[in-house]
Parts: sequence; C-alpha cells; structure tokens
Amino acid sequence: MSEIRQMKKPLIKQVDPGKLPEPLLVFLKNGIPVYITDSGTEDIERIEFSFDAGSIHENSPLLASTTNLMLIEGSEKYKSTLINRLLDTWSAFFHPYVERDRAGFVIYFLNRHIEKILDIAGEILFHPVFPDSELKLLMKKRYRKFLIEKDKVYRLAAEQFFESIFGNQHPYGRQTLPADFSNLDRELLSDFHGLYYRPEKMAIFVSGKIHKDILLLLNKYFGEIPIQPVIANEFSGFPSGQKKRVIHIEKKGALQSAIRIGAPTINKRHEDYFGLKVLNVILGGYFGSRLMKNIREEKGYTYGVSSSVVSLNLSGFLSISSEVSNKFTRNAVDEIYKEIRRLQTEPVPVEELSVVRNYMLGELVRMFDGPFAAAESFRSAWEFGLDNSYYTRFAARIRSIEPDEIKALAKKYYKIDDLYEVTAG
Amino acid sequence: MVSFSKFTLDNGLRVIVHEDSSTPLVAINLLYDVGSKDEDPSVTGLAHLFEHLMFGGTSEIPEFDTPLLLAGGENNAFTNSDITNFYITVPAENIETALWLESDRMNCLDFNNKSLDVQKKVVVEEFNQRYLNYPYGDSLLCLKPLAYKVHPYRWPTIGIDPSHIRNVTLSQAGDFFYSHYAPNNAILALAGKITPSQAMKLAEKWFGNIERRKITTRELTAEPEQTEERTQVVERDVPASSIFKAWHVPASRKEGFYACDMITDILAGGESGRLSVRLIKRKKLFSEIDAFITADIDPGLLILHGKLMKEAKMEEANDSINETIEDLKTKYVSAAEMEKVKNKYESSVIYGNTSILNKAMNLAYLELLGNPNLINEEADLYRGVDKTIVMDTVHKYLNRSNCSTLFYKSTRKER
Repeated sequence: MSEIRQMKKPLIKQVDPGKLPEPLLVFLKNGIPVYITDSGTEDIERIEFSFDAGSIHENSPLLASTTNLMLIEGSEKYKSTLINRLLDTWSAFFHPYVERDRAGFVIYFLNRHIEKILDIAGEILFHPVFPDSELKLLMKKRYRKFLIEKDKVYRLAAEQFFESIFGNQHPYGRQTLPADFSNLDRELLSDFHGLYYRPEKMAIFVSGKIHKDILLLLNKYFGEIPIQPVIANEFSGFPSGQKKRVIHIEKKGALQSAIRIGAPTINKRHEDYFGLKVLNVILGGYFGSRLMKNIREEKGYTYGVSSSVVSLNLSGFLSISSEVSNKFTRNAVDEIYKEIRRLQTEPVPVEELSVVRNYMLGELVRMFDGPFAAAESFRSAWEFGLDNSYYTRFAARIRSIEPDEIKALAKKYYKIDDLYEVTAG
Repeated sequence: MVSFSKFTLDNGLRVIVHEDSSTPLVAINLLYDVGSKDEDPSVTGLAHLFEHLMFGGTSEIPEFDTPLLLAGGENNAFTNSDITNFYITVPAENIETALWLESDRMNCLDFNNKSLDVQKKVVVEEFNQRYLNYPYGDSLLCLKPLAYKVHPYRWPTIGIDPSHIRNVTLSQAGDFFYSHYAPNNAILALAGKITPSQAMKLAEKWFGNIERRKITTRELTAEPEQTEERTQVVERDVPASSIFKAWHVPASRKEGFYACDMITDILAGGESGRLSVRLIKRKKLFSEIDAFITADIDPGLLILHGKLMKEAKMEEANDSINETIEDLKTKYVSAAEMEKVKNKYESSVIYGNTSILNKAMNLAYLELLGNPNLINEEADLYRGVDKTIVMDTVHKYLNRSNCSTLFYKSTRKER
C-alpha cells in the first residue's frame, strides 16, 4: 500500500532571529514612558498599562489582585455595570493582570474606538471607587473559584512549592487561606491603589497598527495627571526558603498525583541565565525534552511533564512539574532526579544540543512575530532593566554554549540536595 | 481582507494559500476529514489516540520532532468530533522540512506495538488528568449522551471510557489510518511568507506522489428531533453545585448558526452579558456563567454552564436561567445590545486575523465546510442578524422540549 518515495531530505537553513528593533520610546508631558511597536496588518491596537503594583507590595494577602480586579467595578464617572457595558460595546478585549512584581491592564481594540477606550482606561486606572457591594460579590466569587482550584492536585503542589522555596512570610511564597477572602475592605484597596497605581510607577506599551494621533490622545488622557516625587517602595525583604525539603500533601480520592521539584534560582540579570535557559530546555522545556522522552514517551506515566526557569525581581525559580498516575509517583520522581544527574555527569551530545539550539532560535523568531508578541517580549526584558539587546545576546549565547558549560551549570544550579520536592495526591 | 488562492492536486489533496509578507514565518495546517464521529461505538477515542500515533515516526523518518526542531519549527495537533488537525509554524526558509515531514507521515506511518502501548498509556493519563481527576471534568461525558441518543456526537473525543483506549489493537489502528488518512481526505493550508506559486510547486513536489486511498464512506444517522425535556442528576464530591444545559442548534455556519452564536453572547458574553448581570451581580445565584456553541459540522449544541453560589438552590437557579431565556422570546433585544454583540464579533474576526496560524486553521476548516471565503464574509453575516432574527431563533431552538439539563450536585458538606 505504501511505497518508499525516495524523497530527498531538504537542507535545513540555520535559523536567525536577526536584528531585533527596539520599540520607539517617547515620554508624555508628565514623564510617563510610552514604548511604541508600530507594525501590523490589521486595524487593531494593543495597549498595556503596566504598574509597579504586583503582589510583592501587599501587606494583606490578595490585596494586589483584588485591587486590580476591582478597577473595572466602578469609577467616579461610571458605574460598574456601565464600564463593563462600554468595554463590551466598543468591542475591546481586556484583561487585568497581577503578577508577583507588576500589575496592570491590557486592552485590545479597533483603532476607530481609540478615544472612547482611552477615556474608559483613564477612569478605570486612576478614578476607581471600589464600591462595597461589588467588592463583597467579587470576594464571594473568588472564594468559590479558590475552592475549585484547591481540588486540583497541581494547584495544591504549586502553592506548597512556592511556600517551601520562598517562605510563608514573603509575598512570593505565602499561600492563600480561606480567611484571606474576608479580610479586605474598601479602605485597604483605596490605600493600595493610591500608593501603586501612580503615573510615576507606570509605563505604557503600545503595539499594532498605531493610530496617527496616539501621542496626542495619550497626553490628553494620561499626560496631565500630576506626578509626585517617587517614594521608594517599602522593601519586603528577600524571600528565603523553608527547612523542610520534602513534603507530601494527601488528597483523598485523587486518581493522579502532582509533582513539583525545584528551587529558587538566578534571574535575567545574571550572566549564567542564558545558559540555564538552554539547560532547562534540554531537561524539560520542549516536547522532545529528556523528561518528556523518558517519563511520557518511554514509560507512559503521564500526559505531560515540563520544566521551567522563571525570573522574578527579587529572585527566580526553577521547577519541574507533572501529574502522574498514582502508582508511578515514586518512579517518576526518581526518573526526574536521574535525568538531572545525567546532565551533571555526561556532556550533552552535540546532535541533541544542536536540536535545542535551533528550536530555541525558532522560539525567538516566534516571540517577535507580529507587534503584539514583540511588545510582550520587550516588556518582559524591560521590567528587569533590559531592552531587546537582551534577546540578541541570548541568541548569541544559544549558538555559543558548549556541552561542558551545560554540565557545569547543571552541577551549579540543580544541586540535588538543594531541591525541594512537593507531591500532592 | 484575507486573500487566498486554492487548487487541488491530482491525488485529491486540496491546497489553500494565503500570503502574508509581514512575517518571517509560515504556518502549515493539515486537516484530515476524520474525527471521533467516525469511530465505532465500541472503540471510542480511537481518532484522538491516532493523532498521538502520528507523532511516532516512520520508516523514513524515525523521529518526527527532531528535524522540525532543527528547522526552528514548532508543532502540535488536536482532534475533535469532526476533524483531526495538525499544524506547524516554521521560519519560511525551512518550510520544505515541514512539508517533508507532513507528507512522509501521510504516505506511511510506522505502526508498532511499542508506540501504540505507550501512547495508550499517555492517553489514559490524559483521560485521568483532564476528565476524571479535575473537578467537573466529566461534565461533558455526562451531558453529551443526554443530548444525543443516536448520533456519534453522543461520545466525547477522548472516548466513553479509558477501557476503550486500552483495548485498541494494532490492526484497528492500521485500518483506521488507511481508511481515513489520505491526500483525498485532507486539506493543506499555508499562510505566511509564501507566494501562491511557490506553494503550488512545493505542494506538488512533496504531496503529489502520494496515492489516493479508499476512504470509508461516512454513514451517520441524523439525531432525531428531541421532543421532551431531559434532565439528569449526578452527585459528585466537588466544591459547588453546577448546572449544564444543552439545546440542539444548527450545524456550523448553516442557517441559524450565526444567530445562535450571538445569543450565547447576549446571554453570557463578557461581564455585561444578561446572565452575568442578572444572575451573578443582582441575584447572586451563580459565581460564574458561560455559554457557547459547539460549532460542529452536523447539528450541534448550544451549551450553557453555571456554577452555583453556596446559598443558591438548584431549582431557583435553573428557573432564573429559564426566565432570562423566556425574556428573549417576548421582548426584542435593544439596538444598543445588538450593536454591542455585533461589534464583538467584528473585533474577534479582525483579532483572529493577526495570527498566521489562526488564518491557516480557519481557511482549512472553512474549505472543509465548502466556502473558505467565509473568513472574509463572517463579520457581515454576524452584522446581518437583527433583533427579529434573534427572537425567532430563540423561539425556534431555546425551548424546554429541545433542552437537556445536567444537575451536577455537590455532595460536599464543607462548602
């Protein structure tokens, strides 16, 4: 039925992300920086309003995320239902976000609605009133979601993992507790908003097919807001890990167990970071990774296993996670350690390294494909005080790194005795 | 405007090309006209399992992923009731590597017991992870057979039960390949940095010499009209009770489809949808509500799902949903509300067109439905739905006799 076709294998050309242009930087009248990535084929724009308002700054759990989610629940000019209706009417896609370090609001809209969108954005970001009834309802809804999340083994493992590696006193590590949902009030939100949602703690990232009057309009809605001298944020201290390195959380009736193994680590500002990223991809960062090959494709213990290296402002972490059949939890954990040890003792074969190199260079091309992706990629370097030359240097390092260097990094950053191991199931 | 050209190779492979010179990449989408609706009721989950086997390598290319990664590419796939869809994005200079790989596995897959055994285990773990171990994960496993009694849409793509997957044999897998995977049962869409003439040349070079195969004729029994309201109660150890409702609605892109899609938005689109405003914000009966249409090639479902607040009673919550729907039968939707949902579709269409992969997927799928130019026409088709059409459509489809309701009751004490 099927004959050999004798097709010649195509030659593969080396992938090259090339020169990555920087966004155009301009300042509004009051000094708010605006980064503009102007390209795109459709008449649509993306604006990200980013504030130094992440959960790192909260004294009460959930304060940063609740403040952020409450922004659209009513302002001086518009009631909650009206904001929602307006955003929907002007067909905007919007998502509020809160990360550990930053928080903000991303909005996609058709260019012809730009004035209406900026008007609403100004209200949402700078004139929220945090009405009580909306706050109560939001907390109720969030509590229901929290309970559902608590039923997922990967969630249980993840929460415990961050507590273990960053400590339960630090905002990076603190777990959410049921009582946290009833401890917030309007005043707390208002104070948090007043401190962190400020023009001097803000940057704007605009991308897409840029409206010709963008600067005029941004100045109209955001450039007049008076700024104050920057007050240094209260420093929350560096996170520090807990003593206990192996923890199991029992969940009755679970069919699978979640695994999280990892440790705090360096971030984008460190010179070893590029190499660590390459090492991570080899271990568990792509479909053909060693962990996927071993635990999924050879043994069939799991639907998926992955590893990641993530940068945070005050730290970073590396982690390996999977959900596996209960009978094989121990075997899977052992195999994870085995793969780490193999990276520490055997140099990565040249063929494998060249696959990873090309895959990662392809990823860099994808990260800058289109204005929206490019703006997101820039932002995630920018928040560490870097620019797109970070990615150009990254590409160069991906090409230059050698097997011995990877082995040395595996020894340095994946010390088995320093790893935390959390299982839930 | 998404411009495209299309042609058919002698072996029946349909090819559709969209050039977008703003990107350095090409997206390659290969759609096979086979889904879980083509399965034997005793071997459900096979189409999806087969999608996994397609990554198992061939005698020519033992590892599918490696060459693609070397070319800087990325790929994945999905299966649903109707189709099995494989896709790749790759820097344009390495497009031939992607075509070499896709054509090679269409030509001949290397079946072996080892790959089959491992992928069976992987898929069973996927079943456990996504459908059994997550709260509410089995809701569609319950709702679908309530709504469909005859049509194969009654089982979900993952399969009725993990045992079906465990029991698949090598010869069943082989038969499935040769009776469904063929140039004359596939559509190849290319979008990105490629010209139509390049595409034609490359498609012919890589796929032109794969022979046609005899495709199993599809003989699906249409689902008979539902005449009575159906309900089912299941009890589960989950944090909150939930309600799932399903109404039979028209097939994807057929008469009435666009109106039904808009109704899901009127009811549950964004924070300003009617159910969100009335039942979450005002009455505080639900913590979340969403609605969508399944957009299947045979007549599909409009599904509505809500999670109850702790204090809410199942019956009152259900009645409130029904009341909100009945409202749509007696009062026209206001001009402003119509405008709102129409704007939303316009921007979704435009937003979708910012991604080459999305465009390639859409073109292949719409070609399967018979009109790829729908990619340019759909915004107007949504615009054309007016308040009378909405009311008529609600009258026609959102009736109790056409509805199946799954009451997903929480048995947990501590809530």
